[in-house]
Amino acid sequence: MKRLRVLAIPVAAALVLGAILLLATGTDPLAAYGAIVSGAFGPDGIGDTLAYAVPVAGMALALAIPLRAGMVNLGGEGQLVLGAISALAVGLYVPGPGPVKVVLALLAGVLAGAAYAALAAVCENRFGVPLLVSTLLLSYPAMSLAGYLVRFPLKDAGSSLPQSPQLPEGTRLPELGGVTTGIFLVLAVIAVYAVIDARTPAGFETKVTGWAPRFAVYAGIDRPKLTVRLLAASGGTAGLVGAIAVLGFPYRFIDGALITPQYTWIGLLAALLAGASPLGTLLAAVFFAALTSGGFAMERATQVPRELTAVLQAVLIIFLAATSGVFRRKARRA
Amino acid sequence: MIDASLFSSALTALTPILFAALAGALCRRAGVFNISLEGSLLVGCFGAVAGSWYTGSAWIGVVVAVIAATAYSLILAIGSITFDGDPIVLGVASNLLAVGLTSFLIRTVFGTEGSFSDPALRGLGQFGPLPGQSLLVYLSWLAVPALAVLLYRHPWGLRLRGVGERPEAASSLGVNVTKYRYGVILAGGALCGLGGAQLALGSVTLFAENLTAGRGWIAVVAVMLGRAHPLGVLLAALLFGLAEAFGFRLQGIGLPQQATDAAPYVVTLVALFLSNVKRKKGQPA
Amino acid sequence: MTPPNPEAVSLRGIVKRFPGVLANDQVDLDVGAGEIHALMGENGAGKSTLMSVLYGLHRPDEGTISLHGEEVSFGSPAQAIDAGVGMVQQGFALFGELTVTENVVFGSEPTRRGLLDRKAATARVTELIERHELRLRPGDRVRDLPVGLRQRVEILKLLYREADVLILDEPTAVLTPPETDRLFGVLRTLAAEGRTILLVSHKLQEVLAVSDHVTVLRDGRVSARGRTADQTAAGLAAAMTGREVDLDRVHPAGTPGDAVLEARSLTVPGPEGKPLLGNVSLTVRAGEIVGVAGVAGNGQGELSGALSGLLKTDGEVVLKGQSLAGLSVRARRDAGLAHVPEDRAEVGSAPVASLRENLAVGFHRRKPLVRKGFLRRKAIDDHASAIIDAYDVRASGPAAAMGTLSGGNQQKAIFGRELTHDAPFLLVEQPTRGVDVGAIENIHARLVAHRDAGHAVLLISAELSEILALSDRVLVLFEGRIVAEFTKAEADQHNVGLAMAGGAG
Repeated sequence: MKRLRVLAIPVAAALVLGAILLLATGTDPLAAYGAIVSGAFGPDGIGDTLAYAVPVAGMALALAIPLRAGMVNLGGEGQLVLGAISALAVGLYVPGPGPVKVVLALLAGVLAGAAYAALAAVCENRFGVPLLVSTLLLSYPAMSLAGYLVRFPLKDAGSSLPQSPQLPEGTRLPELGGVTTGIFLVLAVIAVYAVIDARTPAGFETKVTGWAPRFAVYAGIDRPKLTVRLLAASGGTAGLVGAIAVLGFPYRFIDGALITPQYTWIGLLAALLAGASPLGTLLAAVFFAALTSGGFAMERATQVPRELTAVLQAVLIIFLAATSGVFRRKARRA
Repeated sequence: MIDASLFSSALTALTPILFAALAGALCRRAGVFNISLEGSLLVGCFGAVAGSWYTGSAWIGVVVAVIAATAYSLILAIGSITFDGDPIVLGVASNLLAVGLTSFLIRTVFGTEGSFSDPALRGLGQFGPLPGQSLLVYLSWLAVPALAVLLYRHPWGLRLRGVGERPEAASSLGVNVTKYRYGVILAGGALCGLGGAQLALGSVTLFAENLTAGRGWIAVVAVMLGRAHPLGVLLAALLFGLAEAFGFRLQGIGLPQQATDAAPYVVTLVALFLSNVKRKKGQPA
Repeated sequence: MTPPNPEAVSLRGIVKRFPGVLANDQVDLDVGAGEIHALMGENGAGKSTLMSVLYGLHRPDEGTISLHGEEVSFGSPAQAIDAGVGMVQQGFALFGELTVTENVVFGSEPTRRGLLDRKAATARVTELIERHELRLRPGDRVRDLPVGLRQRVEILKLLYREADVLILDEPTAVLTPPETDRLFGVLRTLAAEGRTILLVSHKLQEVLAVSDHVTVLRDGRVSARGRTADQTAAGLAAAMTGREVDLDRVHPAGTPGDAVLEARSLTVPGPEGKPLLGNVSLTVRAGEIVGVAGVAGNGQGELSGALSGLLKTDGEVVLKGQSLAGLSVRARRDAGLAHVPEDRAEVGSAPVASLRENLAVGFHRRKPLVRKGFLRRKAIDDHASAIIDAYDVRASGPAAAMGTLSGGNQQKAIFGRELTHDAPFLLVEQPTRGVDVGAIENIHARLVAHRDAGHAVLLISAELSEILALSDRVLVLFEGRIVAEFTKAEADQHNVGLAMAGGAG
């Protein structure tokens, strides 16, 4: 109940601001909003929403894991892309039967993302570069590397675009009604995260670190080790999302295709908003995914650019951050 | 390999970063963690192009950029100071808002998708003796000593640093912490506006979705590397600009563009390593 | 000079309420010019609230404030400063990165052509330092100054602003006895110039030594007032606590057994070749409380860190025959170390988390809280309830956020958690700082009972009376070294106090 009340003002504010923008472009706000809702959840749109929710929820989860301990991983994009390109390389070049290759490709994605994120943790532990910065700085070279690979060694010879060839027929994740079966992998990882978070000593230590870092160290929690583990889990999840992305439609790596839709940043916001709680992060991510797919439907129905929903989303979060600050301050005073 | 044109292209590359990093340093000094520099730069870029396009004057474009980015930085100011919201959430969200809003506006205002350029769009043009450098480039260099004087020779700077170190102590001496923090965020917005104008009307003459491409984030790192001192920030931005220009040069001898794209980030990371190692040696504990 | 009447400061009928607390209830306070007036009372008696009202940090709900017969009303400290009222707060309001001069002029800087006039600022500050014999160097960075000198910077700030009413909140808490004497010398000089000094303190001897008049608060009301010359220590103590107090209550000595903890040559290097902790060796035996006395900042933090493993140090620590060299905090705890840290809010607990979760920390990897790798909710609840009951922690329940508890109850909860480990060695730092009287007695009794159950206890405290009341042996830390050791029989205020100031041979 209280959560709902917290949501009311930001939602209203975002809707009003959106309405103003819509009126400025000469569009009926009600029609546009209707198109968003039916586009997101209607029979035609729900598939799009789910398809978009897979990478967003996956990245949200990836970034939620360290966030639970108060650590911000800003390098999700690099880990995502590295996971994708590693999975693709395995899928293209490792011999063997299709299903085995799919599993190996997924594993390669997880390992690549995990190792790369752990490297950022080592930068903090050994060289004193704050995690926020080390993750961010490492992200760019990873994206450059992937961009290089799909332009030269892994390039699709038959195309002028910076993209890889398609994975062969057998080396793909099947689709169910337009949604990759990778969705089950993402759901499984969320379930595992939820159980670890709520019921295990490791999850408890992560939360204690998030509540009060110095208390955690005093109580005997090894922060450097925890940082490496959380970042590896985070990067591994991001890498898995990347692997799922290339193993699903269009079954290839296209330079920028995982960056331009802002999966990582939207995922980070979902995790930040939900305080990295497993269920909350999932709900927030699905909500943002619905907004985005609704935005495409709105553009088709009303000619209003779909970026409007990105604006709505950001405005919503800004108001939510501001009003939750007010609530926090009241709680502190009491 | 190393000649005047290398420095010239380094200069071009570093100016937007320098403006944004100075903004970040100012905020940091007053205890504000500002990661919305990327968004402010992008809004500045858009404002500059829109202003220049509608009036036919690049300088009015600069003014519009400054106004737009300053107004935009109000989000962080109001959200984090007046409403005590989390500056990281607000920073990430306002960066996303900048991408969404400028992409929305480029389509509704200019009617194109992705990027907008037009032969009629006025760029800043060359000023002074250096080839290809606009007036804003010189201004960014002047801003370094100006900020240093403000921070270390003016009562405002003294108070601002006090606000950053111990806000409650500053407040007990009658210094209005809220006012100073609003001041630095808005001034930072204005600086980002100048940086955005240089990027969109000086370095190139166009607006594109996500034109800033992480420069605001590099500025965040430069603030850290330069210890939030104007001169340190200049050196950090210079390092980055040189690495970028040098990388660009290496492409000429056959290295792929992506390898050299990554160079500035790697160089920055190494510089952070080294500066930390040196600090550890200097302090025994 | 201002005539003695009307009074320099006059508070009438001050009432200040906070949610659930009546902090000041119809308090009157009159202070003449040129007078040192002591305001006494225990933690939570309302002293700090009353002074915050006078200094403009809080507005009173009822009552009036007059300065030299003129009624005033302050909405902020800045207005109080303008009216000549200045306050040195306990935590100090200084900027470590700035110099003495910058700290002093901060907020009302001299300028020339729009820029800071450093010359004028330095000249003015130098003049004030010399006139009041404060012995400071204007160019020193405050970060590098010892606490005694920082306090003088605070006083200098008030003088620069021409305050004629100076409030000092527990100014001697961080000072050695000689530094305290020098401070009192400065205060007497200032009073002789006609300034009014309000000294907030709970230390009887100090108040009797330095003040002209005294007002005692208890539970938000005035419980005694008068000329200091007419007061006795016992009478003031009774007025503070509301009952007869045994001022020198000392717990009976324990019966020490075998050595539990042995530390050898603990060393932490410091700046300019002066170690923060220099070659410290000590032994704590079963059934013994060893007190470590010393003014804050003389190596206590480093000693605690060396033992707990929070700080990497040279030297050797052996616990129950096991060397702790190179072991992590967790391994040390497993080897038999429990620890009540100095900083309750940041190190000893997570204020945002519930009491239940706070109490589970440290037990969360073992039976019965864990079974087959999973945490058991019921076991966590039972564990928390058991500690809450046994240690008399007053809270709305195990789900209450730690931060909503009073300081005393937070400390009782932390004590409960750490004593429940039943570890052979207990490290305790500042166990009663900021804790109300009832809880102090409770905590002291617990510590003694813990000792009598055969545990070894190392008690680090800046409160000399606490050290003397509890310790079987007293070690004195000064500038990172143990400079003196006393048996329970030898230790008293005078000789331990002298050693704390570096005056031991």
